[in-house]
Amino acid sequence: MTKYNPVTDKTVDELKKIVGEKYVIFKDTEKLEPYSHDEIPGKDYAHMPEVVVRPRTKEEISSIMKLANREMIPVTPRGAGSGLSGGAVPIKGGIVLSVDRMNSILEIDRENLMIVVEPGVIANEINESIREFGLFYAGYPMSLETCFIGGNVAENAGGGKAVKYGVTSRYVLGLETVMPTGEIVEFGGKLVKDVTGYNMVQLMIGSEGTLGLFTKIVLKLVPLPKAQVDLLCLFKSSEEAIATVPKIMTTAGITPTSIEYMDKDSVQAACQYLNENIPYQKAGAMLLITVDGSDKEQVEKDYELVGELCIREGAIEVYVADNPTTSERIWKVRRNIPEAFSVFSKRQSGEDIVVPPASIPKIVIEFKKLSEKFGVVIPCYGHAGDGNLHSRISPPPDWTDKKWKETLPLILEELYKVTASLGGRISGEHGIGHKRKKYMRTVVSEEYMNVIKTIKKALDPNYILNPGKIFDL
Amino acid sequence: MRIVVPIKQVPETKSVKMDEKTGTVIREGVESIINPLDLYAIEIAVQLKESNGGEVIAVSMGPPKAIDALKEAIAMGVDSAVLVSDRAFAGSDTWATSYVLAEAIRKIGEYDLIICGERATDGDTGQVGPEIAAYLQLPVLSYVNKVCGTKDGDISVHRLVEEGSEILESEMPCLLTVVKEVSDPRLPTLRGKQKARKAVIPVFGIKELDLDPRKVGLAGSPTKVVKIFRPKVARECEKIIARDEEKIKEAAGKLEAFLKKKEIL
Repeated sequence: MTKYNPVTDKTVDELKKIVGEKYVIFKDTEKLEPYSHDEIPGKDYAHMPEVVVRPRTKEEISSIMKLANREMIPVTPRGAGSGLSGGAVPIKGGIVLSVDRMNSILEIDRENLMIVVEPGVIANEINESIREFGLFYAGYPMSLETCFIGGNVAENAGGGKAVKYGVTSRYVLGLETVMPTGEIVEFGGKLVKDVTGYNMVQLMIGSEGTLGLFTKIVLKLVPLPKAQVDLLCLFKSSEEAIATVPKIMTTAGITPTSIEYMDKDSVQAACQYLNENIPYQKAGAMLLITVDGSDKEQVEKDYELVGELCIREGAIEVYVADNPTTSERIWKVRRNIPEAFSVFSKRQSGEDIVVPPASIPKIVIEFKKLSEKFGVVIPCYGHAGDGNLHSRISPPPDWTDKKWKETLPLILEELYKVTASLGGRISGEHGIGHKRKKYMRTVVSEEYMNVIKTIKKALDPNYILNPGKIFDL
Repeated sequence: MRIVVPIKQVPETKSVKMDEKTGTVIREGVESIINPLDLYAIEIAVQLKESNGGEVIAVSMGPPKAIDALKEAIAMGVDSAVLVSDRAFAGSDTWATSYVLAEAIRKIGEYDLIICGERATDGDTGQVGPEIAAYLQLPVLSYVNKVCGTKDGDISVHRLVEEGSEILESEMPCLLTVVKEVSDPRLPTLRGKQKARKAVIPVFGIKELDLDPRKVGLAGSPTKVVKIFRPKVARECEKIIARDEEKIKEAAGKLEAFLKKKEIL
């Protein structure tokens, strides 16, 4: 175990010299508290930082890292704090390094179809800034209105559009990075092809803030789709709905932008929470399917093919949203599921497993089995089309906290083993953080763990940057 | 039962931007939708048709593009639609618009009910519904939040008023303007969209309606927009922070003095 030193007044003075007095939070519990957690409900994974610093430049970050290495103080990088695996939580105390002030869009490069941004830019702002040029950044997650692009890169965030557009990593071409020991290094750049040395960009993406801090990010852009239509398809049973998912691509031959699956519990919770009157009581499950493209007529043809397929596969109704108001109404149901469950049940474990897309029907059956075996509720929803399924495991109201805390690991152990047997992994887009680290071995080998630990040790010999995440050293 | 639903195509309010210099709406690149409050009128009309039989006809006055709004209405369950469109109608205020729509409805033929949304989200006047009724000399039941039913040629509704609702009965034909509480609009379906794509929507212009050009467009509009400006909102904030009992008492005194100064107390 690495022994860290507490943050002293002297260290705080040095931090103030680096970033300015205004941008250091110390000994003020009220102001430090927001930096102690991310968006995992409850306080189980929270931990208070000793000090928060809010640098503005890469040089300041470099100085902070050098100071932290000298003083043996852990540093936890933080974006918007909208994560779901504890990645930004300072579990060893020490310094939280917030990139919220580094929020400039540095360059919109219309000739190369690229944008250069700082890590504290809100994902949605990127699209706001390039819409007028007919451009689009497609890698953003569901929390696009709050999350920072730096966090997206660190977690390799995915989202609703991954079926067609893939996840964050597909769009990151360059990263200016401050290494755990304080050196500033450029990885990649405005290059579509680049095999000069190791592919460090892709190593950094999804490293959950354990290998480096990004200070400048080069993103690839695509032409903004001119037409988009959402279909909300109501099915009698979850089996019918989920069986339709792979057929959309294989039988109908269309790659939709997204295919979101929502089971009965998820739909009911969200519709009740929103006072939405679509006839959800009749539905055993729903699919939300989006198709987009550069040609309106083609998009019409595509959605008709998908809609007809759904009806053939047993959909009892297919709703069509081809304008922003109706589209928003449909997506609101999907987006509000987590929030709706938080209102109905305080105790829950948000899961994020991913399996090969064709195995989705199998894993849904396994969820049902687990739910019956342990007597818990496991509503499922998520990106289905890309094999990534979310669920919120919740205990019955009469369970004591003790029983819940004892049973949950047993449920997770079984769930993850089944996931592994299907060739899946325990997190598709939320990350491991410290929430899932003890389950890593259920899906990856000892040798795999050794490789990633070796990388960590080589780049961060003092174990300063975001310790206790993904694994323990 | 034959029901006419006049609807309006409006810019999607979230994406609307204002021209700072002229104070007018920039319409380019803004998505157009059915006026959100008209959706409630469409829904209740379709519900009445479903329970009583008959047909629902949507009518919209606007540029040729307004055909999209009418098709969306058909996708929601409306049976047929009429577009009222002519360059001569451009610049019509609520008075001229109501006149044209009333004439178009007359041409559509016999009807039992006209159902309008309370007002449009762009103009925000709420005048066109009642003015159509005036032209057609129909009773108006405004701010309807519940339709109780129809019997022997009469309709019974609840009207939303400040302190609750009033129960109104009227003989048909009559015109209702409805508020949000009247229904929950349904979503357009795939089958509805397919029907809408095939639907033939007739266009009524000044000739088809045989209208006097002096009574439509700018010439027929008594409303003149003299100036558009943004009202200035000046907020004078005073923060009073108190964490212990003594300070709270002090703060209450300060707040009282502040409110008295502003003549609120």
